[in-house]
Amino acid sequence: MRTQEVSVLEAHDLKCVKGSTELFSNVHLELQSGEALVVEGSNGSGKTSLLRILCGFNYPADGEITWNGESVEGHESYQQQISYIGHASGVKLDLTVIENLVFAQRLVGSDRTEAEIKGIIRAVGLFKQRNILTRKLSAGQKRRVALARLQLEERQLWILDEPLTALDRDFVTEFEMVLKNHLEQKGMLIVTTHRKLKLPSALMKQINLSSL
Amino acid sequence: MLSALLTIIRRDLLVAFRRRAELMNPILFYVIVVTLFPLGVSPDQAFLSQLAPGVVWVTALLAALISMESIFRQDFDDGSVEQLFLSQHPPTVLILGKVIAHWLITGLPMLIIVPLMALLLYIPQQAIPTLFVTVLIGTPILSLIGAIGVALTAGLRGGGVLLGLLVLPLYIPVLIFASGAVSAAIEGLPYSGHVAMLGAGLILALILAPLAISGSLKISMS
Repeated sequence: MRTQEVSVLEAHDLKCVKGSTELFSNVHLELQSGEALVVEGSNGSGKTSLLRILCGFNYPADGEITWNGESVEGHESYQQQISYIGHASGVKLDLTVIENLVFAQRLVGSDRTEAEIKGIIRAVGLFKQRNILTRKLSAGQKRRVALARLQLEERQLWILDEPLTALDRDFVTEFEMVLKNHLEQKGMLIVTTHRKLKLPSALMKQINLSSL
Repeated sequence: MLSALLTIIRRDLLVAFRRRAELMNPILFYVIVVTLFPLGVSPDQAFLSQLAPGVVWVTALLAALISMESIFRQDFDDGSVEQLFLSQHPPTVLILGKVIAHWLITGLPMLIIVPLMALLLYIPQQAIPTLFVTVLIGTPILSLIGAIGVALTAGLRGGGVLLGLLVLPLYIPVLIFASGAVSAAIEGLPYSGHVAMLGAGLILALILAPLAISGSLKISMS
């Protein structure tokens, strides 16, 4: 994986309002290269909304997000640093595993060779299924396709919404290694999860939306 | 940029090919509705050829409308829409690619079937090239405008009816100039003015619609 430059993501005073209810306000966060931020909170506390705001899909009702000190509003280059996996993981069910990954990496503009893509498919344990339509895979296997995409895209900031859903325990351990690797390569990670992620605690920050 | 356009076109065509059972529906709808007119109104030759331009084009609008839904529906369900905005390439280019792919799937078959429709409705031979040209220029406009409506209503429950209310009024200029051109050609009158207006409409839609679609998608996503 490519080593990235050192970057800083900051957010000040973020506020999110859905309809007439305020989900959260006064959210501050700062994340540097090599750090992970775990977003916690009870159901409905706005974890997904916070991640989508950080991705630039939704606008905060108040507050500002900066990337290396510059406001991200209207800066498309910020969104080009992000790999995002949401509840819907961006996997096309009518394409095979390998087609999904080939198209996805072309759209983000990275150009891995076929062999490298196959290597990543093998790493996520889908090599035998690589020519099967994603529709026919199990929920956990579909999730693995999305996580393979993450590794192909070579983006610095990974924003993951419940990435561990439906994954088996062995694969979670492997995936933690991938995350650790990513952080070591100056990557950044923002993640929500109900399971415990085992990452070096020195690199982990936490924010709890319920207690704000 | 061009490679991104081609990539997304290839992806969408591949996805459509995997779901080819659904592909035929709009075009079958088109053929069936057109054949209802000789049966229901009158099989009289003079009467039908007068009615034909309107029938062909009103039906084309409705067929385009029912085919539009599919352009972003799946992308919303599987999360691909978000990925469009995280791409290295401008979202407008990718969106244009999606519309082109969608036109190749729904508009192109219509183009191929046009001579058959002309035959069914007694459109005189000298007007068939005109009909062909209006379909060639007109259906991409329908796809571009329709995609704006779908992008706006995709996040809503029961967006189908709303889509019709939103988009059909915007289709009216296409209907007027396209059926006007065909009528003029049937009567042996000059029709290049109508076709020029359609062409101008297509250029305008090609430039502006991707921006409008991209903005609408952003609204629907949030």
